Amino acid sequence: MSDKFEPNIVAFLCNWCSYAGADLAGTSRIQYPYNIKVIRVMCTGRVNPLYILNALQQGADGVLVSGCHPGDCHYMEGNMFARRRLGLMKDLMEFVGVDPRRFQMSWVSASEPNKWKEVVEKLVEETRELGPFEQFQRNMINW
Amino acid sequence: MIDLDKLRNTAAETVSRDDVKHLVGWKKGTFGYRVAPCVIENAEEAESLVFSPLCAANLATYITLPEKLPVPKGEQPDDRKTALMVKGCDSRAVVQMLVEQGIDRDQVVIIGCSCQGVVDLQKVEEKFPEPLDTVEAEWKEDKIVFKLPDGEEEVARDEVLADNCLICRYPNPVIADVSLGSEVEPAKDGEDSSVKEIEDLSLDDRWEFWEKEFSNCIRCYSCRNVCPMCYCDDCVMDRLNPAWIYRSVNYSENTVFNLSRAFHLVGRCVDCGECERVCPMGLPLGKLNRKLAREVREKYEYEPGLDPEEKPFQASYRPDDQEDFIL
Repeated sequence: MSDKFEPNIVAFLCNWCSYAGADLAGTSRIQYPYNIKVIRVMCTGRVNPLYILNALQQGADGVLVSGCHPGDCHYMEGNMFARRRLGLMKDLMEFVGVDPRRFQMSWVSASEPNKWKEVVEKLVEETRELGPFEQFQRNMINW
Repeated sequence: MIDLDKLRNTAAETVSRDDVKHLVGWKKGTFGYRVAPCVIENAEEAESLVFSPLCAANLATYITLPEKLPVPKGEQPDDRKTALMVKGCDSRAVVQMLVEQGIDRDQVVIIGCSCQGVVDLQKVEEKFPEPLDTVEAEWKEDKIVFKLPDGEEEVARDEVLADNCLICRYPNPVIADVSLGSEVEPAKDGEDSSVKEIEDLSLDDRWEFWEKEFSNCIRCYSCRNVCPMCYCDDCVMDRLNPAWIYRSVNYSENTVFNLSRAFHLVGRCVDCGECERVCPMGLPLGKLNRKLAREVREKYEYEPGLDPEEKPFQASYRPDDQEDFIL
């Protein structure tokens, strides 16, 4: 096994746009890094800011929340609420000294597999530079 | 400056109304600089009420505190009102509860008291150690007079006021059924400079600062219990399944607890400074709140607790909200 650090990124994807976009990337055989672990949610407006902290606590090195472009939301306005809420979460995390690149948001529609690939590549590359997340990771006892 | 006789008369009048159950106010404490919140139920008790620079407690918390017991069959529920004495910041907390429909307007009678700022006990005790006898205090132009056992002492207001009072934007109640006292000028500079100081630090230094502060937290939940905006019946911090935040006291859980506490107050915090005042470990929780309040004010042009007709911040959006951080 190599000692090279491979980042572990948790992605919350909205069912209607980003998840379908990532799916299309797969069916179109567009290669993107495998460091990303996808969690499907029905809408980005459903992502509780606590999920982001919890993912970081449980060993994620970066978190991505991705949803529909503004105006495209299946539920009309869910991503607008998410934009407000998670934008402030990002400000708060930056204020206490967590690198803002640890938590990213993106708009990826169902027909943008290439954008999805770019986003993931950018994220993985940045997180690899940052190194493992150790600021408030939960210390689990290894029995 | 509020005339105490007038305040007591108003309180007595209010509490003897048929539709008022009780009145929550401040009374003299049992020792030193302490002032205790009190609940009075008849006009005679109104004589014990005080209003002074020592009345730091935010009484808006008390609206949601009473336990609502089930009413026996055939009996009518007691739906009489709660009368409340509020300062400027407390009145904003009441408005914010109305915005969130946490309470009904006809559930409360609000007695507004214009406030020239309350003292931070730590700052006072540095100057004059706390005596055993009760001390009275009053505002006098831009000074505060303490009636200590061995004579009166005057201090400039800026030296002893609590941090949030130094930058108070709304010293006058924004909502009131009865207003007492004359209008007070808001602070000239409404920004907290210490937030800016932290922002100017590098990421690592910021984390070093906050890690040290958060590791002091003993998770007593005083900040949550005293907060007028934390009135959920089922708090996420208490929930065991799913346990988002473990109850163990370590830096990881402490960080997440403090971040989520601050985050639950986004667009809701009225900066009454209660969390900071009650914290037994002296965490600068106000800095987190004021940072977020400033972002909300500057980026989203929203200020909580001013207009009861407004929509809650997190339950509304504008099409042109900032999104420069989104990839």
